[in-house]
Formats: sequence, structure tokens, C-alpha cells
Amino acid sequence: MTVWFLRGLRRGVVTTRYPARPDSSAADLPTPPVFAARAIGRALADRLVEVCPSQALDREDDELVFDVGACTACGRCREAASWAVQPSGVFELAVTSRAHLVKRIPLKPERGRT
Amino acid sequence: MSQGELPIPSQPNVQQTPAPQGERGDPATEDQAAAALRQRIASQFGRSLHIRTLDTGSCAACEQEIRLLAAPHYDLHRLGFFFTPAPRHADLLMVTGPMIRAFDIAARKTYDAMPGPKVVVATGACALGGVYPADAFVHGAVDRILPVDVWIPGCPPSPLALLHGLLVAVDRLAEKVPELSFASDSASGKESG
Repeated sequence: MTVWFLRGLRRGVVTTRYPARPDSSAADLPTPPVFAARAIGRALADRLVEVCPSQALDREDDELVFDVGACTACGRCREAASWAVQPSGVFELAVTSRAHLVKRIPLKPERGRT
Repeated sequence: MSQGELPIPSQPNVQQTPAPQGERGDPATEDQAAAALRQRIASQFGRSLHIRTLDTGSCAACEQEIRLLAAPHYDLHRLGFFFTPAPRHADLLMVTGPMIRAFDIAARKTYDAMPGPKVVVATGACALGGVYPADAFVHGAVDRILPVDVWIPGCPPSPLALLHGLLVAVDRLAEKVPELSFASDSASGKESG
């Protein structure tokens, strides 16, 4: 944002150069989370599913099903488990197939279960 | 990007629109269809494309971001995109909101009024089926009523995300999400107990 402001002052041009060049303000955008696959067990996954306000998360056995399309990047899962959930930093999320937005994240294997 | 008339939307009836998660189509055949579609768009739309926005019950955050596309910082006209208030002049329909049932007829009329070939872009988490589940008042996702070609996630999608979505729709930028897993191998801090 600062870079953009200084460039505007210096040259009088404020228009972003995206997509030819990356936009400096993109780093400030809220983005969907990335989950640390090996750090999340079933119990934690269930808690994340519970805190998600937009039904973007679901647990199917040992997989966390993350619907990026439903995610509002509110950050509640990150608050609940900051050691295992980080912002992805990806804002270019558009797809031509809805199925591509549904991600399956393997969970930590449960000890003492088959 | 279909041409004929749409079927009349279902009556307000919760049982008629369950639309389970698994029913979203086979990615392989959809990929082929999408590739053919993008080729056709690139050849037919060339360098000028007119956008009609359709608000089907959104909170107006998406509209705010769409409006910013025309502001000097993003200036989408430099890329050959223009907004039009008339669906008959539009090539691309940007649909926001969770598709409220009260809007069935208006949405169908807008879609039918657009000349073919036409592209439908579902914009924002509501339109993608995230925020509102289907009930007596909303369909819950745009693709239950209109044939959607491009999905732009975000709540709201930032103008940069919208620009990326529009450029994906005309095949001038590549999609990024299919290669991403949204899972990382290591935890950043301490391990959970």
C-alpha cells in the first residue's frame, strides 16, 4: 500500500499493474487458511468444523473437507488453533469447476485405532 | 454458456432442492468442457466484454467491490471490460448473493435476455453456496438456478480477486486453485497435544 501511495505521488499514476505485475496491496487481503495436516487430530478437526460460521469445513473420517468456495476468510479457525492454521496468502481463487474448490486435507493418524 | 431458454425454476419447496455436496459433477469431463468453452470465449469475445451485475440478495459487500473495479486504482476498462445496465448488451453476468427464491423470475429473464454466447460468473461466498443453506427463502447457490461458468470465492472477493476471475473467464489468466492443496506439511509452532 505504501509503495502504491509513493508511486502515485511521484508519477501521478495510481492504477495497479495487475495482472502484468503483482499488486502491492494484495498482501493485506484476508485469504483462506492453510491447515497443517499432521498437527490436526480428529478432536481438533471437529472443533474447527464447529467454529466455522459458513459450513466451509467438514470432517469425513480421517479427512478434513475444506470448501474454499464457502470460506469467508473470517479467521475463526485460526483463532481456535493458531499453531495449525495459517493464512494462505492466495487471493486468486477463481475456478471454472466448482469441484476444484473442495479440498481434502488428511488428518493426524489416531493412535490406538486401526 | 448455453443458449436456449432455461427451465422454469422449481416452486418454493425445500424438498426439491437438496443438492448434496457430491453432486457437483465429474472434474475430468468438466475440465474438457471448460477448455472448449474458454477457447470459444477467447475467439468470440476478443478484447471487449460487457458485464451485467445481478444482485440476488447479497449484503452489497460484493457490489461495493465490483464498483471499485471501475475506480482509478483497478481501472478494469484498461483490460477491455465494461459494465452495462442492459442484459441485452451483456456478454457476462456477474451474480452475487445466495439466490433468493423471490428472484427466480427476474434471474431467468435476465439470463434469457442476454445474447449467446454468454458467461455466468458466481461471485462471493453466498453465490457459491457457503453462507446460506437452501431453505424456504433461498436456493443457497447460484448454480442451482443458472449454469455457472466461473466461480469467484471470497467474502467479499477483493477487486483483485474479481479481476482474476474475469480474466480467467476470458482465458487470459490461468486458474491457481486446482494445484493448491490448502494443507501444509508442518505445524508452524508447537504441536497440539
